[in-house]
Amino acid sequence: MTNLADYLTLLHFTPDEHWQHVLITDQSICQQCRDKPCLTLCPSGVFTWNLHKSEPVLVLYKQCIECGACRLICDNINFSYPCGGCGVNFIEG
Amino acid sequence: MLRHWYECKKPVKISKKPLTNPTEPIKKYDAIVVGAGPAGATAAYFMAKSGLDVLLLERGPYPGAKNCGGASLIAEHTHKLFPNFWDECECERIVTQQAYWLMTEDSILSSSFQSMKLAAAPFNRFTVKRRNLYKWLCDKAMNAGATLLLNHQVDDVIFEDSQAIGVNMAPQLNCRFLADIIVLADGANSLLAEQAGLVPQVSPQDLSLYVKETIALPAQVIEDRFNLPPGYGSIIGLVGYPTAGFNGTGSIHTFKESININVGMPVADFAKSGIKPYELLDRIKKHPLIKPLLAGGVTLEYGSSVIPEGGYHAIPELVHPGLLIVGDAASLVNGTHGFNLSMWSGFFASQAAYQAKISRDFSKKKLSLYQTLLNESFVIQDLKANAKMAGLQQRVPYLFNLYSQLANETAYHMSKVYTMPKRAKRVFIFKKITSIQPLTKIASDVWKVLKVIP
Ligand SMILES: Cc1cc2nc3c(=O)[nH]c(=O)nc-3n(C[C@H](O)[C@H](O)[C@H](O)COP(=O)(O)OP(=O)(O)OC[C@H]3O[C@@H](n4cnc5c(N)ncnc54)[C@H](O)[C@@H]3O)c2cc1C
Ligand code: SF4
Ligand code: SF4
Repeated sequence: MTNLADYLTLLHFTPDEHWQHVLITDQSICQQCRDKPCLTLCPSGVFTWNLHKSEPVLVLYKQCIECGACRLICDNINFSYPCGGCGVNFIEG
Repeated sequence: MLRHWYECKKPVKISKKPLTNPTEPIKKYDAIVVGAGPAGATAAYFMAKSGLDVLLLERGPYPGAKNCGGASLIAEHTHKLFPNFWDECECERIVTQQAYWLMTEDSILSSSFQSMKLAAAPFNRFTVKRRNLYKWLCDKAMNAGATLLLNHQVDDVIFEDSQAIGVNMAPQLNCRFLADIIVLADGANSLLAEQAGLVPQVSPQDLSLYVKETIALPAQVIEDRFNLPPGYGSIIGLVGYPTAGFNGTGSIHTFKESININVGMPVADFAKSGIKPYELLDRIKKHPLIKPLLAGGVTLEYGSSVIPEGGYHAIPELVHPGLLIVGDAASLVNGTHGFNLSMWSGFFASQAAYQAKISRDFSKKKLSLYQTLLNESFVIQDLKANAKMAGLQQRVPYLFNLYSQLANETAYHMSKVYTMPKRAKRVFIFKKITSIQPLTKIASDVWKVLKVIP
């Protein structure tokens, strides 16, 4: 099993339909950001970007596993926890 | 299942705080604990036990829902707080084997200790599933009289001047709770104290990001492959190869019918390296000597979490007027051991809370009993003793990886039979090793290590 998508299908999420808990504050900063560390750092691939087009960096917040690492590498990322009861639920420890 | 999530193509702008007036609280508690992990649940238990009216708030739908990785529990420290806890808390395996594997891409140099002396009470370590550990502690807190509210996310701490007096719940709950003492036990990625300006943001160098994979294997297969008697378990620390040249660590924990592989390194190093965290798991699983251990296993769960690894110097100010910070939120982790420090910090906080309550004094000065108890205990003493180790890894970033390679190279030539006399073999090995890292450099690194070993 190497594919992140396979990993994600094993996880249990209660998606929060009303509240996006991970946001990019300013997309214009992303356009200037050369390394885009968010794309590789996030363990669940929340941040995606189409290399060939000048598209915004997408935030697939519903697959976030709430490690909180992204907020430490970029001030342009606004992270808070999803609403109580929502988000990822781990079972196996 | 995932497809519809990808439909949220455009980032949605949702205002951060819907404007609502929280309804007035119905009652005031003696203490509110935020976070039902080992630190929070232990604090709640001991406070409730001493007669305080305690509210324990947890954002997950069940205790442990938001936590993953590891894990093993040191028996002695836990036993002192919760005598014979192994009769109550569902543990996975009694650990009778502890090993370290220094790895390169095709070899493992292992040091391992295995003894049935570790199999009798008071034991040494147990592997545990977080759900069982967290549930057990929460049940204890509730049985002692604490109120546990799940699905309750705290948004921020309420202050009157600088005195903490309560917490606001997330907007959709539209409520708040008041108390004389607030205990923040919200874990490694602690947002509350930071938002309130009580502690600085943790540095990405001091926080390590870990990924884990749980793989199901029949109990007997685990016992055969890890050479364990039925019911007993092993913990293996993995050094070198697993973190691809960066200073981090990996581990294998054996459970009843599954194993956990964990691997991680500082957030800053992930950002620098461009390595995707889950790629590290894949590398480990493909290692020629690990692969056979996992053959036939079925992946059950993937996960990720952070550990504060800044050590003693990263501990922020923990006592504030009406507020105490415990556990991971307080950076109280030594190596990868956090449970015991968390529980004990929760216990010390409960002692300070009790004294504050009976004297009706919730000032910083009164509550600083917590800090005093921490300082006198193994928690701070051990962290202090290891303080320089944390700095060393930053000064010699190649430490784990390079020396793991050197050790394996040496072991390889030692175990290989050559057609040369012994003395010549020693010279040959010496030359091999010093061609990888010059002798003066080795000497200087050894000196750096020796200087910090307590
Ligand atoms: C991969 C990995 C392996 C580890 N292995 C070990 C090991 O083998 N042995 C060991 O001793 N330690 C281990 N640790 C460390 C250990 O997990 C922690 O030290 C320990 O869990 C800290 O306990 P805590 O109660 O402080 O925080 P946590 O266990 O993180 O609990 C915090 C709780 O607060 C809740 N919370 C957070 N914010 C809010 C909010 N705003 N409102 C309401 N609730 C909130 C969370 O949902 C969570 O339940 C490991 C850690 C990791 C990541
Ligand atoms: S979110 Fe931050 S790291 Fe990611 S592209 Fe934008 S500016 Fe760069
Ligand atoms: S919190 Fe972790 S999983 Fe969620 S977006 Fe940030 S890095 Fe990704």
